[in-house]
Amino acid sequence: MKKMWLVALHEYRRHVLTRRFVFGLLSVPLVAILFVGLILLVMSLDVNTTPIGYVDRSGLLSNPVEAPKPSWPDKPVPNIAYMTEAQARAALDSGLIQAYYVIPADYQNTGALQVVHAQPVKDASRRAFYSFLAANLLKTTDPAVATRLVEGANVTVQSVDGRRSLSGDDWFSFLIPMIAGIGFIIAMFTSGGYLMQAVVEEKENRTMEVMVTSVTPNQLIAGKILGDTGIGLTQILLWIVFLVIPILIFQRSVEFLRAIQISGQSALVMVLVVLPSFVLVAGLMAMIGATVSEAREGQQMTGLVSMPVWIPYALFAVMMGNPNSPLAMTLSFLPLMAPVTMLLRDGLTILPFWQIGLSSAIQIAGAALVIWLAGKAFRAGMLRYGKKLSLRELFGKA
Amino acid sequence: MAAVELTHITKTFGTVKAVDDVSYSVEKGEFFGLLGPNGAGKTTTLRILLDIFKADSGTVQVLGGPLTDAKKDHIGYMPEERGLYQDIPLDRCLAYLGSLKGLDQAEVKRRAQTYLERFDLADSSRKKVKELSKGMQQKAQIIATLLHEPELLIVDEPFSGLDPVNTQMVKDLLREEREKGVTIVLCSHQMNLVEELCDRIVLIDHGKVLLYGELADIRRRFSANAVLVGTPAELPALAGVESVERQNGTVKLNLAKGIEPQSLLQALVAQKIPIERFEVALPTLDEIFIRVVQGEQP
Repeated sequence: MKKMWLVALHEYRRHVLTRRFVFGLLSVPLVAILFVGLILLVMSLDVNTTPIGYVDRSGLLSNPVEAPKPSWPDKPVPNIAYMTEAQARAALDSGLIQAYYVIPADYQNTGALQVVHAQPVKDASRRAFYSFLAANLLKTTDPAVATRLVEGANVTVQSVDGRRSLSGDDWFSFLIPMIAGIGFIIAMFTSGGYLMQAVVEEKENRTMEVMVTSVTPNQLIAGKILGDTGIGLTQILLWIVFLVIPILIFQRSVEFLRAIQISGQSALVMVLVVLPSFVLVAGLMAMIGATVSEAREGQQMTGLVSMPVWIPYALFAVMMGNPNSPLAMTLSFLPLMAPVTMLLRDGLTILPFWQIGLSSAIQIAGAALVIWLAGKAFRAGMLRYGKKLSLRELFGKA
Repeated sequence: MAAVELTHITKTFGTVKAVDDVSYSVEKGEFFGLLGPNGAGKTTTLRILLDIFKADSGTVQVLGGPLTDAKKDHIGYMPEERGLYQDIPLDRCLAYLGSLKGLDQAEVKRRAQTYLERFDLADSSRKKVKELSKGMQQKAQIIATLLHEPELLIVDEPFSGLDPVNTQMVKDLLREEREKGVTIVLCSHQMNLVEELCDRIVLIDHGKVLLYGELADIRRRFSANAVLVGTPAELPALAGVESVERQNGTVKLNLAKGIEPQSLLQALVAQKIPIERFEVALPTLDEIFIRVVQGEQP
């Protein structure tokens, strides 16, 4: 047992204390930051703060009140009143305003508006003007009522047993399981890749021959899988830290970040289904490493493991339509597909305990079987320099 | 008690019988040579001994019984193809391999430092293994094999890649281990070194044992009826000598059947021929190896 932990610790230190690991660790949040930054850049470019003109023939804006301050990333857009359409047109032609609205006399009855622009009015500018109109339509209404009318209802969907609730404000909580699924896949195949490569290298440079005169193949494989799981969990833990820090920093200024919550169901799925699946994949990667003759060949075989893991994302639209459909339920139990399916369903529905339990049992049994097979593959394939291991050899006597 | 005992071991890979009914034993404290041409089945025999492979039939006894996990901590194995982690510093590699043999970290460090200094590797201990030269890696591998002070030492071609100075150092080290009572199994192609170090040998070819026993006895069994004579004088024709071969200042006299070396010595003395050297010509292990592999029986 002690030797297994020594192997695990060695594997962990060997990969975690490398530049390659640190680069891999930082690259994911950096890419995410870059991606989010690009989106924010596009959104901010969408905001044109050049004033919008209007010609009011309805009298609604004869004594206008200002629009409420828009929420980020929108910015306030000034409004300029013109007596005549000719004046507004001249201002538009000179570039003083980006567009002007003509509010007809019967606007309050018909809601019809006319807009004149040189370039199409961007969404943020349009929202700003509509907000200005709404504020003036409601200026005689009780402010609390006016706010309710503008913001609409905030419906919270609550499950019958009280285990889950979801409101319009915490839409980000719904995205978290999806993001967690992607993070899980990346961590799983990064650390699994290390494991497979380590096994192939040890075969190639004959370290394996020295190792098995000190530890049993089972101790070796179990230690390696344990170390690999530790590497993956370290990655995930650090990514969570990278995610939580900006959330804590921006929570005060960004409303949806305040509403984020991790449900007990998500935690259960992570511990009972995702973690055993992680071990299962690590076992498969070790088995591939033990059976192939070179790393390149192993990478090709890795595709056979990674493809089923991604399938639930391909079927996401179907699952979104009915997250409790027979298809979604079946995928929830199948090894390799279960972790992502369960994570996606976790964001969409309430998962019955029996489904989490059954899926967990299947993943644990699958992981145990794969570790046993990987041990056999290790024993049979560890000294097959330059030769692949056949299925017959894998299941035969070493 | 035998430190190693292999009895009727057989191992087949596919259609190839790599080891065919091999039996031999290595006595405790003995320096034992395992010889054979390439592909003879030596390494497979060693791997069976170390429980890396399971034999198809036969029994293996190591240190007084079947090989257990606990016994592995008392065995030092150095494979022919070197096996060290290439991408970590040497001291960390040694610490890891030592800890897997049951040593605590402080003890591993102390012993590793002693060996590193002896092998002139102390300055390179922080270097990654892959940054070391072939000879240095070879020495590092020897350190990893000896670090836990094994009772049974199995070394496969320990001298390959070493210069004469380091070869001598490793020879001295192996002799020291033997003096401490360590049982040593040496697998090597360098017959002169086997001849120099080993008490007994087994010669395997095509998976079968061809020769087994005490080295001196084997050499006697393969000796021809010949003597080596060192003399500054020109030798006259001698009765009972069938042929004469000159070898670097020494003359090899092949004697006729029934002629004893003693009677030839008497004849040389009687003829007042100055003699600087006179010895019975025993074949070298190299010669025996070639003769046996080519099918000759003693």
